[in-house]
Amino acid sequence: MLVDFELIEKARSGDDGAFNQIVQAYRKRILGTIARTIGRPEDVEDVGQEVFLRLYYSLDQLRTQEVFEPWLYRLTVNAAYDYLRRQKRRRESRMSDMSEQQVMLADAHQGEKADKEETRRTKIRELVSSLLAKISEEDRILLTLKEVEGLSLKELEKIYHVKENALKVRLFRARQRVLKAFHAGES
Amino acid sequence: MDRMNQAGNGDDKLDALFAEYREAFPDPEGSADFMPKMWQKIEARRVETTWVFRRLAQICVAATVALTLLISTVLMPSSDNGSDVFYSGTYVDILAADHAEDFSQVLPVGDVQQ
Repeated sequence: MLVDFELIEKARSGDDGAFNQIVQAYRKRILGTIARTIGRPEDVEDVGQEVFLRLYYSLDQLRTQEVFEPWLYRLTVNAAYDYLRRQKRRRESRMSDMSEQQVMLADAHQGEKADKEETRRTKIRELVSSLLAKISEEDRILLTLKEVEGLSLKELEKIYHVKENALKVRLFRARQRVLKAFHAGES
Repeated sequence: MDRMNQAGNGDDKLDALFAEYREAFPDPEGSADFMPKMWQKIEARRVETTWVFRRLAQICVAATVALTLLISTVLMPSSDNGSDVFYSGTYVDILAADHAEDFSQVLPVGDVQQ
């Protein structure tokens, strides 16, 4: 825990200063998780603000100190999921107006502008994003939390309120699909 | 990408790719206006919620007034038809009128004569 329960209690009772301290303690971690989950650095802050807004209005539902972090992660997962769903709808309508070649040219042009290291990072981001695009938004978030964020199955169980075995099955299937797309891309 | 080349099978390569993806997205600090914008959004949601409740209350009041007017203008007169006699006096008056004879028997003779 990055904050003590007293601070959470103060925030629950309407102390905005205490809430500010909670946000400052978790901001970096949550923004990082969001960035890697949604894969778009430019929208990270918007989604992050949405997470803390939801936290602000749901703090009074929090029962015990132990569930605070899983609760915050759950809000993060939900906000990231909502964002990815919106993006999918937007992308579908935008892509329908552009041919695949046009999209590739646009991406290549964007790559030229950035420096070498940034280009390498961008390539990795795009590669992983394209692999994760092969699975559903729910599985994308779950797989990212496990494989990229390094959360344990126990932690995921607390966030999702789903039995460990069910999570294992879901993660295995999602990983297999990503792996298949990865092999297809290599060959 | 280097780590990917060193890795052996597909699973290892994928793990290496995820690790590189993690490094490609370091935890961002957030811009200086992160907090002000967040509070703006919180405030906007609060105003929005208050507006919704206020609107709901206005609708309830309007509906109550409309219902009251409907009852007073349509339903009440219709229930009054041909029954004016029942509302011309108090309950005690009507009771006394119905049982006038009973009272005359109960009251002392002197009072009845008056």
